[in-house]
Amino acid sequence: MHLLTGLVIVVMAAALVRAVAPGRPILTAIAGGIAAAALLVAFHQDLAGTDFWAGIIGFLAILSALFVVIHPNPMVSVLSLILNLICLALFYLLLQAQTLAILQVIVYAGAIMVLFVFVIMLLNLRAEEGLRIGRGVQRVGAILGGAGFATLLIIALRHRQGHAWMEPGRHAAEFGTASSLGGLLFGQYVFATEAASVLLIAAMVGAVLLAKRRLD
Amino acid sequence: MRIDFFLVMAALLFTIGCIGVLVRRNIIVMLMCIELMLNAVNLTFIAFSYELQSMTGQVFALFVITVAACEAAVGLAIVLALYRRRRTTDADDASLLRW
Repeated sequence: MHLLTGLVIVVMAAALVRAVAPGRPILTAIAGGIAAAALLVAFHQDLAGTDFWAGIIGFLAILSALFVVIHPNPMVSVLSLILNLICLALFYLLLQAQTLAILQVIVYAGAIMVLFVFVIMLLNLRAEEGLRIGRGVQRVGAILGGAGFATLLIIALRHRQGHAWMEPGRHAAEFGTASSLGGLLFGQYVFATEAASVLLIAAMVGAVLLAKRRLD
Repeated sequence: MRIDFFLVMAALLFTIGCIGVLVRRNIIVMLMCIELMLNAVNLTFIAFSYELQSMTGQVFALFVITVAACEAAVGLAIVLALYRRRRTTDADDASLLRW
């Protein structure tokens, strides 16, 4: 039953990808294949009992990630990436990381993505004609490498010890709250926090320097 | 539901981002694929932090977000500098330092 639902969703996904990116059968096939693999894995008995809404969010996340890769228009890629980040923020909420879910939406989907949108608007990038992608060896290598990597990761997950079920109420009440996260940041990990601030300063100085008109 | 669901999801997102970096030639899209990969790593960190009931994973994810912000700022500044010089955002056209 779950398998049937998965197959229907795969066909719908392939049709959607086909409609958005016509004339690129190879990429559509790759996309459909990855979506099919994703759903077959997601609906396999290894992952039995997956919540319906979590499955829908996961499907949206995979689909938007595929759009980031296959869509020729960079603006659509950015918007799909924002959708993907919001899906991941919902996953963080499921995993009791409320503070990080909020930070994900504010910092990632807000600040960093605005930077991308700004640069694309500034450069006035149009959709690419025929989707410039690497050719020949590079494309085949990327697909083979990606498939091998996915297989490796899934085999590693299959053989990992201790298949834990999600049990609500197993965690302490303050797990994932801002106060406990801040306590860790300024207690146990205070050196890493300071190092991160130095990194931010260095990145800011570097960005300002690179944005100068004359690079000397 | 099992925590493995999130791990499989993170693995697939990481793979999609990895293929994107290798296949696409537009530097901005390549940077976006890198963000995709960093987010997959974040999801793994948070899933394991939930399973092990330790908040260290969430602290790590916060640092990953910090590094991603730095990477986006510097990377996009480099893209702007490249576009001013060469009028291109294609990774194959920036071949001055290639052997």
